[in-house]
Amino acid sequence: MEVWYLIIANPILNVLVALTQLLGGSFGWAIIALTVIVRLISWPLTKRQLKSTKAMQEMQPKIQELQKKYGKNQQKLQQEMMKLYKEAGINPLGCLWPMLIQLPIWIALYQAIMSALATAPESLLGLAQRLYSWDIANQAIPLASSFLGLDLAGQGNIILAIIVGGTMWVQQKMTTAPTVDSRQQSTNRMMTLLMPLMFGFLTLMFPSGLALYWAVSNVIGIVTQYFVTGGWGYLRPRSLSQPR
Amino acid sequence: MATTLFTSYKMKKAKILLLIVIVLLPLTLVSCSPWGSQSAGGWAGTAIHDGIIYVGTRDGRVVAINSSTENLEWAYSIAPVTAPSSGLSCGQTSVPTAIYSTPVVDSDIVYIGTYSGQVLALNMLARSQNLTFPQQRYGEWEWNCPIDNAKSNAIVADLLLSGDNIYVSSSNGRVYSLDKEFGDLNWESKVLDEKHRKLWTSPVIQGNTLYVSTYDGHVYALSVETGVSIVNGIPDWIFESEAGFASSPVIYENTIFLGSFDRYLYAVNVTIGSDEPMWKFPQEKPAGNWFWTPPIINEGILYAGCLDGTVYAIEAKTGAKLWEFNTEDPIGTSPVLMDNLLIVINESGTVYVFDLSAEFGGEAAPLQTISSGADVRSAFCAQGSLVYIRGEDNWIYAVDIDAGRVIWNLNLAVEE
Repeated sequence: MEVWYLIIANPILNVLVALTQLLGGSFGWAIIALTVIVRLISWPLTKRQLKSTKAMQEMQPKIQELQKKYGKNQQKLQQEMMKLYKEAGINPLGCLWPMLIQLPIWIALYQAIMSALATAPESLLGLAQRLYSWDIANQAIPLASSFLGLDLAGQGNIILAIIVGGTMWVQQKMTTAPTVDSRQQSTNRMMTLLMPLMFGFLTLMFPSGLALYWAVSNVIGIVTQYFVTGGWGYLRPRSLSQPR
Repeated sequence: MATTLFTSYKMKKAKILLLIVIVLLPLTLVSCSPWGSQSAGGWAGTAIHDGIIYVGTRDGRVVAINSSTENLEWAYSIAPVTAPSSGLSCGQTSVPTAIYSTPVVDSDIVYIGTYSGQVLALNMLARSQNLTFPQQRYGEWEWNCPIDNAKSNAIVADLLLSGDNIYVSSSNGRVYSLDKEFGDLNWESKVLDEKHRKLWTSPVIQGNTLYVSTYDGHVYALSVETGVSIVNGIPDWIFESEAGFASSPVIYENTIFLGSFDRYLYAVNVTIGSDEPMWKFPQEKPAGNWFWTPPIINEGILYAGCLDGTVYAIEAKTGAKLWEFNTEDPIGTSPVLMDNLLIVINESGTVYVFDLSAEFGGEAAPLQTISSGADVRSAFCAQGSLVYIRGEDNWIYAVDIDAGRVIWNLNLAVEE
């Protein structure tokens, strides 16, 4: 636990509080700035992920051919697809890293929000032991929790849930390759809906500050995907048979 | 991208569920674990009156303990509250009301503020007979603080009893004056901290003026009679600091002393009306942490505990440091004077006794160091040679300064 606070939780908390002071006392803007910083730090991984997405998009005609050819032999299909990925120099598992990196950040951010906004007296007192001796951090305390009509320490509302779910859906849709396999189509459809619905639901359960992070992170993801992959990807797919 | 991967690997529904679990599990663990939780039992301190110790427990009760027999005289359970759900919380549950304010005793009535936003006047006789609360014929009453468009009406600060009235700071940002006999509302102040809407510090009174400090760094002077600011004009505060004030104020000879989140202790003269404080302590660089609790004053000397673990003796007029002592653990409760002895307790529950008649250089040396055996955040009281401490473990400890040890302790939790 000590290591967790030392390496992840306390640095995120202190940066967040210092950003709040730098940004005129607005905790909401501090969360947005932190999201941008996290996105910048994870940019090398994101870039690799986006390149893989683009390469996979370009590979779609070949993948569809394989699906048509080996549709009834799943084992063979997977072998052929892995071969194809290997030839193209793509590691399909590589795209999981940006997502896995997000998990400890979410947890630390959740803790930072609850601690920094000090909804309970214990949180405020506990903050004293977690803040660095930076003047900028101490002068910001205690933080105000309202931002654009949101209570950042309170549970998210339905509008925020729709924004989080909607932006996640767009981001997923941009990268979900179409397929001719009907079973795969239904799995894809379910995934594209399930994750946004789940995060929309989480928005209603968790502090708005965390949902703000998700929403901004999704928007940044959409924008970077748009520019790096050169368009809306599979959000506006052309005919399946038409090579990209 | 993830879906492309899953397309590649012919992901089955079980795998989708696994992914959901991977995402949800850490968040669930965090929100259900103690470090994700917001609820706690409060840090109500001890008060002693006619040999009876009064204290709020961590399980939402006010108890009276006979200091001679060490027996429980009576206990009153405050109505539990529904805990707000947080994150993927483990459901809404009914939990004991937290009590942060130390009981205030006046003749046969014990006053207490609760985190559920109530002020209760408990009659000792009625409580010892376990009668239904409130017994108006015994002078009992309860007052419910309005939420008033704020997030909370919780009462965290100690109540201030002065004359015929009780003054209450609320988490809704207002101060209330109540009639101590019937609990009737005399007045309510305007919202004093629009930014945070929480007043977790107690006011102080000098003459006809009530002084309140806020987390947005202001000191207000309100009329004791009406609750209206005595400053005519805008702004209507008497002092403004860049950082918020962490501790409740104390007043001595027209000067307010209070700790700030910028790790300084401020002295503000209330008669001058200057934008500058009289002094800030430490004079060179800030202390290692916040001055969380108000200092105490004796013969022109302030004794202030700091969350950096150091207790300081400071000359009230000049802010000059007379001596200091580092206890090595945060000091989250105000020192107490016992004749010529200064009692300091840090969060790890070590009791330090300083002989104020001794000549200290810059560094003080305690006369006694006694371990209570419990973590301590609550205010404590002392009588005779005994110090009564409520630990974070929900036990009460009687520490004998002369004997240099805990002479008795009592579990305050309800026995199953």
